[in-house]
Amino acid sequence: MALTNPVAIVKGAVSLIIGLGVTIKAFFSPVVTVQYPRVELKISPRFRGHTKLVADKDNPDKTSCIVCGMCEKNCPSGAIVKVVGEKKEGEKKKTLTSYILDFTTCSQCGICVEICPVDALAFSAEYNRAVFTREGCHFDLVKEFEKRKIH
Amino acid sequence: MKTINNIIELVGWEAIKLLIGLIGVLVVVVVNALVLTWAERKVSGHMQRRIGPKEVGPCGMLQPIADTIKLIAKELLTPQNVERPLYFLAPVIVFIPVMVSFVVIPFDAYLQVKDINVGILVILAFSSLSVLSILLAGWGSNNKYSLIGSVRSVAQNIAYEIPLLLALLAVVLMTNSLSLRDIVESQKGLWYIVSQPIAFLVFFIAGVAETNRTPFDLPEAESELVAGFHTEYSGMRFALFFLAEYTNIFIICAITTTFFLGGYHGPILPGFVWFFGKTYLLVFVILWFRWTFPRVRFDQLLNFSWKLLIPVSLLNLIVTGGILKL
Amino acid sequence: MVGKILEEIKASLVNVNFHDASYEQSGYHLSVDVQTGNIPDSVKFFKDKAFYLEDLFCVDYIDYLELVYFFNRYEELCRVKVTSKVDAGKPIAPTISNSYTMAHWYEREIHEFFGVYFDGHPNMTYLFLHEGIDHYPLRKKAVPVPDEDKKLLNSFKPQEEEDCFFVNLGPQHPSTHGVLRVVVKMDGEYIISAEPVLGYLHRMHEKMAENRSYLQFLPNPARIDYPGALLLNLAHVATVEKLCGIPVPERAQYIRTITCELNRIASHLLWLGAFPADLGALTPFMYAFDDREQILDILEDVTGSRLTYCYFRFGGLYNDVGDTFVDKTKAFIKRMRERFPMYEKLITGNVIFVNRAKGTGIFQQVDARKYGCTGPFVRSTGIPYDIRKAEPYAVYDQVDFDIPVGTAGDNIDRYHVRVAEMEMSLRIIEQALAKLPPGPFKTEKVPKKLKPPKGDVYYAVESSRGEAGVYVVSDESDTPYRMRWRVPSFSNLMTFPSLAEGNLIADAIATLGSYDIVVPEIDR
Repeated sequence: MALTNPVAIVKGAVSLIIGLGVTIKAFFSPVVTVQYPRVELKISPRFRGHTKLVADKDNPDKTSCIVCGMCEKNCPSGAIVKVVGEKKEGEKKKTLTSYILDFTTCSQCGICVEICPVDALAFSAEYNRAVFTREGCHFDLVKEFEKRKIH
Repeated sequence: MKTINNIIELVGWEAIKLLIGLIGVLVVVVVNALVLTWAERKVSGHMQRRIGPKEVGPCGMLQPIADTIKLIAKELLTPQNVERPLYFLAPVIVFIPVMVSFVVIPFDAYLQVKDINVGILVILAFSSLSVLSILLAGWGSNNKYSLIGSVRSVAQNIAYEIPLLLALLAVVLMTNSLSLRDIVESQKGLWYIVSQPIAFLVFFIAGVAETNRTPFDLPEAESELVAGFHTEYSGMRFALFFLAEYTNIFIICAITTTFFLGGYHGPILPGFVWFFGKTYLLVFVILWFRWTFPRVRFDQLLNFSWKLLIPVSLLNLIVTGGILKL
Repeated sequence: MVGKILEEIKASLVNVNFHDASYEQSGYHLSVDVQTGNIPDSVKFFKDKAFYLEDLFCVDYIDYLELVYFFNRYEELCRVKVTSKVDAGKPIAPTISNSYTMAHWYEREIHEFFGVYFDGHPNMTYLFLHEGIDHYPLRKKAVPVPDEDKKLLNSFKPQEEEDCFFVNLGPQHPSTHGVLRVVVKMDGEYIISAEPVLGYLHRMHEKMAENRSYLQFLPNPARIDYPGALLLNLAHVATVEKLCGIPVPERAQYIRTITCELNRIASHLLWLGAFPADLGALTPFMYAFDDREQILDILEDVTGSRLTYCYFRFGGLYNDVGDTFVDKTKAFIKRMRERFPMYEKLITGNVIFVNRAKGTGIFQQVDARKYGCTGPFVRSTGIPYDIRKAEPYAVYDQVDFDIPVGTAGDNIDRYHVRVAEMEMSLRIIEQALAKLPPGPFKTEKVPKKLKPPKGDVYYAVESSRGEAGVYVVSDESDTPYRMRWRVPSFSNLMTFPSLAEGNLIADAIATLGSYDIVVPEIDR
């Protein structure tokens, strides 16, 4: 620090005052934060929440899943715990009965959504799932699907 | 009524006044610390374009009270290898000098606990004591960060007490009194900030350094020393250091107001409003500094004091003396 | 130019086998096979010819272990792969740490993962694994660690000495940006020596890669370098594309470039906030975050995530950009350009900041080769080395940009280089947006199960911290035989002891902050 040079000292002091000007301007500017639980921002349509099952186009009451197990096989972190289906009488294809997702290990990479041959999976927009136990994040996508159907 | 008169006769009117004053001071100290913690968070919030505390009370004003309750309720953790007596003593000692300093500050024409004719010496003497508690805390914590922080603090306080004193001396030369009330009264017409601008600047900068605030917050340099001398303190003990820090800020600003900004003088409004208004304006400036500037380095800090502030204040003193003599 | 150097290498090196490599296919110009005994001589040749040590690692071929040295030049791209076979039963090789300081760490890494001993290495202890190991983790067959080696832990137990004391900076410390630990020997406020201790965030991504298909490894790179997730995502995807020969549509390449540059700005902004915070100024952090959030909003609209992106796919992208993307990005460029003067006033102009950063943490240009430093760190010393220019990927050859360089290599130079780089990134984005072609965003007919042909490939991208390279050995199965990540923070951090030595602790903290290290990247 050039403490003996008066010009440098004055210049330094001016630079500090300019800096103070920046913060005081910010002080009187409106805030940029959003108070989350009171105000909620719109979630981007592409937001990747946990995966959800998509209804079949022809038959909106059912999912289009054919229980091929591709998603389960390709999941990098083993988050898709179990995909179970059964063949009902009189139907050609298997029907999905349970799809257990362990959301604690899911990294939302989208490989399951992408690899699904019938596009039965999609990302949900749910971003604020809070649970008390680890098991709260293990959920059955079929049940979630049924719930959504009722609403 | 008779008993009260008896007591007054027994201990003397002065002592009663002092007692009431001390209680008043305690209240002011605590309320000031609460207000300043809230203000610091609000100021930092808005300077960073967020809003700071908001949930507890209107505008989050009750947040400091919630924090205090939390700190009181917390377990007093004592690390294993601390030097117990020193470790316990430090947060208590840190608090005494700042209390004493309040006694002599004239908040208004008649609002002063005790006007001592060496008032400024009392403040300076006791404010030097606070560095002792920081040293005790640093040594007693048996932590390397704490030790470095406290050693820094000692060097810094020694370096900055000299310009602090020299700057005040120039004002004392002009008033011919060490009593704070006399100094305020002599500013009825012209404030000393006008006649002594250099002394004001030197004093304020040195004062910021004395209170260990950014850009001179080396004793507790967060990014280097975690929390400096109070790294190992938690709960109420930490709160005491915190309280002392904010009270120190207030005292430095109050002295600046008294010496340079005309103290309680001001038109229309009552004196204490002016006094607190000016003081808190300076407090705001100190907060403003903290949320704008980075921290200086240790050698820069000492160089700044020894090579710039002390020569400048000495020069100022000589010039003041010369002009007064003429 | 490259040809001339290659000729020279071929003429000068004796007792070695040359294999001409196709740069287009493998990513390196020449492959040299050296006998173990000849390693020091050959390495010395590369040192004299001003090559820097790009990477050093090992591959286990069961019958033998292969040490792989990658050398490259800052002046022009000339990547030479030097390999040496080491006996799998009793693996011993001579050290090159006397020629290339960086090899200290690389060799320790190989030692703990493969069990190779390096003759003459001064400190053959574990680098990452603090708990000790029973088997060498990256060996293909279980090889137990000899009992006497199990003690080679690096949990640093300093010897008390007179007139100095030790301070553990980290793993929990406000300025170590994560869980880096630096054992600092101090004399008062001055640092006598500093030694980084790594491994607190070690997750062994390289082993994970061997157990996953190429597709399944997609989320991992984002976890290696979280502030620049897309850049490493691109490194992985592009490597596999190169290995399998998958074409990428032009639109995808442009979008990759734009999103990568956005991510680079986001990463630099994170650093721009954290560096003044290391110096004690806390407000720029929030301002930088404000700007960074704007980028994250744009990228969230594109990728669906805000931090650990997993967006690029083999042969293209996960999805096309939305309709609002171009407008939003343009708005951001405008906003960001208006923000630079504010940063200038608040940080760069500030006399305290300048005095803190100027002339501290000076890194000499001549030392860069010994460490193989890359990125803004090496550019601040005046070496204009940037993978985007040296070895253009995506569409960097179709946009016009400069490489900002510094002169002194001190903290403020590193600051200026990064800020200039942000402005340069804005320029790149602007040009790429103007040229953004229509068309498909993904190549059709990429097999769902990738089985690349036999061979190896090295591919590097310029991450926000420097050269991030991926080396993949394929054995025609659907998982990589070996995947090696060359990360920039690792080799940049190695310079820290020499920069910290003899300086004040406050300066050392500032220097550490100026590196922009990312600990998960160092530890992998």
